[in-house]
Amino acid sequence: MNDLDTRLLAAHEADDTQALVSLYTIAADQAGTEQAMGFYLTHAYVFALELGDPAAPVLRQRLIDMGRETPL
Amino acid sequence: MDRNVTDLSAVRRPIEQANGLPNAHYIDPSLFEEEKQALLINEWAGLAVGADVPEIGDAVPMRFLGIPLLLVRDRHNAVRVFQNTCRHRGMILVDAPRKIEGAIRCPYHSWCYSTEGRLVSTPHVGGPGQNTHAAIDRATLGLIEVRSHVWNDIVFVNISGKAVPFEEAFAGILERWKEFDVPMYHGGADSRIHFDLKTNWKLAIENYCESYHLPWVHPGLNAYSRLEDHYHIEEPGKFSGQGTHVYRQIKDDDGSVFPDFPGLSAKWDTAGEYLTFMPNVMVGVQRDHMFAIIVDPRSLDHTLETAHIYYAQPDVSESLRKKNTEQWKTVFQEDVVVVEGMQIGRNAPGFDGGRFSPAMDGPTHLFHDWVAERVNAHRASGQHAAE
Repeated sequence: MNDLDTRLLAAHEADDTQALVSLYTIAADQAGTEQAMGFYLTHAYVFALELGDPAAPVLRQRLIDMGRETPL
Repeated sequence: MDRNVTDLSAVRRPIEQANGLPNAHYIDPSLFEEEKQALLINEWAGLAVGADVPEIGDAVPMRFLGIPLLLVRDRHNAVRVFQNTCRHRGMILVDAPRKIEGAIRCPYHSWCYSTEGRLVSTPHVGGPGQNTHAAIDRATLGLIEVRSHVWNDIVFVNISGKAVPFEEAFAGILERWKEFDVPMYHGGADSRIHFDLKTNWKLAIENYCESYHLPWVHPGLNAYSRLEDHYHIEEPGKFSGQGTHVYRQIKDDDGSVFPDFPGLSAKWDTAGEYLTFMPNVMVGVQRDHMFAIIVDPRSLDHTLETAHIYYAQPDVSESLRKKNTEQWKTVFQEDVVVVEGMQIGRNAPGFDGGRFSPAMDGPTHLFHDWVAERVNAHRASGQHAAE
């Protein structure tokens, strides 16, 4: 388990939604495949959406650009 | 469940010949279910108050008649009521009061809804990282909203969605009390009173309707509010209750009183009126405060009551507010022994619903008559047989 996985698990454990947004965004940026990137971006987006985080529209747009989401 | 189809003809007679509702309406689970549909789901019932969700994003889950509901103050400051169930696999969305900062996220598969109920995200619904699917039309999968109406901060719901408009259903009360259609400010945590009652919900309502019991159950009132100072308020098929000609403002130790609601006519200098928004909201209005008691039928013989006290201004004296809460709490507490005692009394097989004093029990009979009329209409509609 790498350091990012460890931090993600800890953030889930702590219900630290803000950290989940950041860590899943990092995971997306480090992903080796487009599908993995889409998966992690989806998680980052959902937690940002739940939080009302200003990153939410940016993350959604990235998913839209990848054909994985539609505009609101 | 086997149906007990009661004969309600005796209830519907003129008060001089009428009997009250048969025992079964208090002790038979099948009648509770029937009344639940006929009186509480089909009509406008009180659920909560806006003060339960004071800030934008506040969300409170509740169970009403067993139905999971979610009270929310949306992004536009409107109070809404939704069924608290995800449109995906039926998971409960919110399990404890909290602030919705952005979206309501289902804890199961993370489908997300706006505070207006719109489905805004369906993660992985088209496969990993693919968040759309042609078969999932988000526009048709928003939260199921319950028809609601807010009057003086009281949140009413019509779960069936088929009742006449709120303003029509309660036109008589709204006209009678139009002077109280003014801003109301909840007194806060010290202005809520809770009761957990071992009784059928209707007994709480019918006790509230009449003044006959006041000198016996509330002897403290005799000093300033005698029986003859009270009057009946009767609108058959609509509402009933009572009023007093001698409402006396509560005073703090220094003689100060609460500020009055603005623009009231002279009648309200000394009048107080106490009506039921049938089926389950008991409201009292006086020159300087209003209270609303929401009756929550939990089961056949278990009822919760929550009273909320409102004032003309948001910053009234805390000491006087607490004194007022204590005064009302004492009065409401005195009623507990009778509303619970009448429930026990309904288990006597020889009790025939009882008789009414034509002089004193008019408002109570009107409530029984309203129940009988609505139950009969429900039975006649055929909905009864289909349940």
